[in-house]
Amino acid sequence: MIIKDVVCPFCGCLCDDLDVEVDGQKIIKVQNGCTLAEATLTGNNRLPAPIRRTANGWEEISYDDAIRETADILCAADRPLLYGWSSTHGEAQSIGVHIAELIGAVIDNTSVVCHGPSILAIQEVGHPGCTLGQVKNRADVIVYWGCNPTEAHPRHMSRYTTFATGFFVPEAQKDRTVIVVDTRRTESAEIADEFIRIERGGDYEVLSALRAIVRGKGSILPREIAGVAREQLFRVAEICMKAKFGAIFFGLGLTMSNGKYKNVRNAIELTDELNRHTKFTISPLRGHGNVYGSNEVFTWITGYPYAVDFARGIAFYNPGETTAVDILRWGECDAALIVASDPGAHFPHAAAAHLAKIPTILIDPHRTATTPLCRLQIPCTMAGIDAEGTAYRMDGVPIRYKKLIESLYPDDADLLRRIHDRIREVQGA
Amino acid sequence: MRAVLNTGRNISQGIAVEHKGSPAYQAAVSVCHMNPVDLMELGIDEGEHVTLTSRAGSVVLTTRAAESMNRGEVFVPLGPYANHIISAETHATGMPDFKAEPVDVVPTDESVRTVWELMESIGGVRYDH
Repeated sequence: MIIKDVVCPFCGCLCDDLDVEVDGQKIIKVQNGCTLAEATLTGNNRLPAPIRRTANGWEEISYDDAIRETADILCAADRPLLYGWSSTHGEAQSIGVHIAELIGAVIDNTSVVCHGPSILAIQEVGHPGCTLGQVKNRADVIVYWGCNPTEAHPRHMSRYTTFATGFFVPEAQKDRTVIVVDTRRTESAEIADEFIRIERGGDYEVLSALRAIVRGKGSILPREIAGVAREQLFRVAEICMKAKFGAIFFGLGLTMSNGKYKNVRNAIELTDELNRHTKFTISPLRGHGNVYGSNEVFTWITGYPYAVDFARGIAFYNPGETTAVDILRWGECDAALIVASDPGAHFPHAAAAHLAKIPTILIDPHRTATTPLCRLQIPCTMAGIDAEGTAYRMDGVPIRYKKLIESLYPDDADLLRRIHDRIREVQGA
Repeated sequence: MRAVLNTGRNISQGIAVEHKGSPAYQAAVSVCHMNPVDLMELGIDEGEHVTLTSRAGSVVLTTRAAESMNRGEVFVPLGPYANHIISAETHATGMPDFKAEPVDVVPTDESVRTVWELMESIGGVRYDH
């Protein structure tokens, strides 16, 4: 059977035009998707049953025992941490927030190690963004800053920018000018019309220089700014100011480099300057399929997009204090529930190591680098493959994941609902 | 050699990311991309091993020549190998320095550890059933 218009759950593009061929409980062919989509949808590395760490290794346990033990561990903890949430649907994320409120936990999502700093910048100066449909149909100048969509979002260029025809840009490659700014000559840089190669850590300076030029103060600039010739920046500023509609996309090159959210703030303020001349927008290239959804769901329940601390009985937010990496590296939490993410692979090892010292429960379909660190792992469905649900694309558009195959695994929303109910029982008693 | 460590996504890491114990994942994320001149200066060929040591620890990786890299910079795809040497300090932002970790790069004959060995070294217990 061929299922049409399938949504790929891998990256924030959430491409929704895939054709997937299914044979019984197996996905056998993916069309229209990138290599990442094919690997995600056809992969098979599922944990067969819940497992518990013992003195001698691991043992399989029942779902009932796993749920009971998870609730008991979370209820007994003084400073529990609930982390992850970006590779599941909004339905599971919202139950996670309710569990955090019940037990006075800190709940954080993976944006803390991707676009958390972008959110901090947006909270300072706002977000002049737009949907990807606007970019596709209108943008004649595209800027990719500190990101490599060719490898991290392989269809971004073909669906929305460089190679995509739009209503007002009928001949994509002729009508659009693509500018890439990076410290490395990446695959994306190879196909750019203009590549600005800056010295590592020089983003803030180059953004400031462009702002000066756009403001008409370019004469104060030195000959070279962070390894970039002043003449190139004048040329790029002119391209941007003459655009009918420009769109900046930025990646972790800004959020993870020195300056972090200040880099992003400067990029947003450059966008502000450009809007005095023409129409320009800026948006982060979000990584995980539903990481934007975790920000949306956390915000509409608690008022804050990540790093929410319920220890005071109300929602409190202070990145740097209530963020998962910090809480782990200080050894502050005494239990952890990890859902749909892999901090074992993606957190600095000093933070990940604390997960092995405390009772950590992992709800994830796969054997991951967090599996060896946890006390208990409960396998579940994978959103977008054997579970349906709501996800948010990188531009904030909600898209419904389809269920492609039946499986014997429980949906993580159902697992979390049972854990939530069990906690209420324990607390009531 | 003193260098700045940059980490990030690439295609082979993304393809294997849900198969953390697989040889493909290990091969994708235990690689140190370096400028060919830096490799020459270290006196080694592509494919030989180096130890990267930072303020947070050290890890052995396989080298790969990459013209795209500036001299004095190395790139390791994100994953448990890169994170073995990234400091957990976040400067009150919640975000570690994933793209700005100073490292020493030294040739070595030591072998590259598996993902499970790395996780065991921080207190984990492998599950390989």
